[in-house]
Order: sequence, then structure tokens, then C-alpha cells
Amino acid sequence: MSERVQKLAQLQDLELMIREVEDPASKEQEEALGFTVAGLEQLEKARDRLIKQIPKKDLRIYQRVRRRYDRAVVPVANRICLGCFQELPTARTAAIAEGDSLPICESCGRLLYWL
Amino acid sequence: MKVEQFLSYFSAERFLPELRARSKDGVLTELTRVLAEDTDIRDPGLLLEMIRRRESLGSTGLGEGIAIPHGRSTAATQTKVVFAKSSKGIDYDAMDKEPCKIFFLIVAPYDDVRQEYLPLLGKIVETVSQDRTRDKLLELGTFEDFQRVVREVIGE
Repeated sequence: MSERVQKLAQLQDLELMIREVEDPASKEQEEALGFTVAGLEQLEKARDRLIKQIPKKDLRIYQRVRRRYDRAVVPVANRICLGCFQELPTARTAAIAEGDSLPICESCGRLLYWL
Repeated sequence: MKVEQFLSYFSAERFLPELRARSKDGVLTELTRVLAEDTDIRDPGLLLEMIRRRESLGSTGLGEGIAIPHGRSTAATQTKVVFAKSSKGIDYDAMDKEPCKIFFLIVAPYDDVRQEYLPLLGKIVETVSQDRTRDKLLELGTFEDFQRVVREVIGE
């Protein structure tokens, strides 16, 4: 998988974790089970550090897709985009995704992450 | 949650009766590698990154020898659990500072559309909260034993 997509997937996972820590209901549920959930500031710092490692062009694309969908980066399994569940063209493979442009689903526009 | 639904998140391929790892990070690496191998994820790195990050918010070592690392990730397509044990116990920075011997790694998809993640986490915590159950889990050696113990405990 392209390192560029990996970074965007990391950013997406990190932003999800930040949302969970910020969400009182989610945090309360975990704490009620006996888990500690603290350290929002360090997550935000980690996000800032990660953003600095991502090319600006890639970040712009990611943020544009995020405005449209909650999940900008989606896995591909058996040539199916797991964002819109459309089959990708045969020619579209993980190898192509290693090229210059970020792999984007032609059907829904989400960024593709090959499992 | 019914017992068969609970058991559907586990498998013999994701059952490790004796961990090789001897450190907390080694456990997280071993568990995520097993999960990735069993679910056709080529690179466990994204899962491991998420699990390590979750640990930074507070250890998932609940005490009484139990650790339940967990989280949601873009790399996961289904909710799955890896069950593992360490007879010697591992320093996991648990809340009671005692070594952990029983591990459940739970990874759920980013969107968790079936909303399975927190109920499953809750069911695991509830299941291991009894001394008797923990003793049985420590003694078992095969996935079939694990299924039998879970059916006894949850089916009660």
C-alpha cells in the first residue's frame, strides 16, 4: 500500500479517536467498564505532527473528501470499494495505487486503501 | 448478547494459548499480527498504530491479570477478537500493577455500522469479572475448551 494513503488512514483513525475522547457518551461508556480515557491534548499534538508529514496536496484532497463523507479513506476488499460497495475496474489494482496520484474510487470519490 | 453471537467474534486461528511476547509492546505486536494474518490485511502497521495510541490514553490492563486492548480502525472490515494467554504473565502497566495473563484484542471497523463494538467490549468485561471464570480461562488449552467455558459462563 502506498505510504501516502497509509498516512491519511492513520490521520483518519487518529481523528476518530479524538472524536471518541471528546464525546462524553462514548467516554463515559468506556470509563463505566473500568477503562481510563485521558490525554486529548497528546492526541491533538500527535495529529498535528502527523499532518506535517503529509504532502499539502494529499491533505487538501483528504479534507475535501471528509467534508462529503465521514469516512474519507475506505478499504478495498476483493476489488470492492467498501465505501460505496461498487466493484472497481479490473485495471485498477494496488500496484496502480502506488503511482503519482492518490487512488480514488471513480464511483464515490473516496480514497482507497488496499487491504 | 447471546452466547453464540459472542463466540462468533472468536476463532481457532485467533486463539493463542501461549504468547511468545514478553513485553507489553511485544504483546500488542503479536496480537495485531495474528489478527492481520487471519483477516487478509497485508500490513498490520495501521492496526498496531491505533492500538498503541489507545494505550497512550490509559492502559487497557484492567487488573486481576486481564488486558483488553481495543479500538476502531480504517484497516478493519469486521469486528474480530484475538484471545491469548501468557502463563508467566506480562508487565502490562495494569491498573493494579500486577502482570497480565489473559488478553482480548478487539478491533472493529471505523464506521461500526452494526454497533457491535461497545456491547462486545462490555460483554467481555462482564465475562471476565468473575474469579471463577478467570481461573477457567487460565486453565484451558484449546479453542474448543474456550468455547465450552464461554458457553458455561454466558449460558448460565
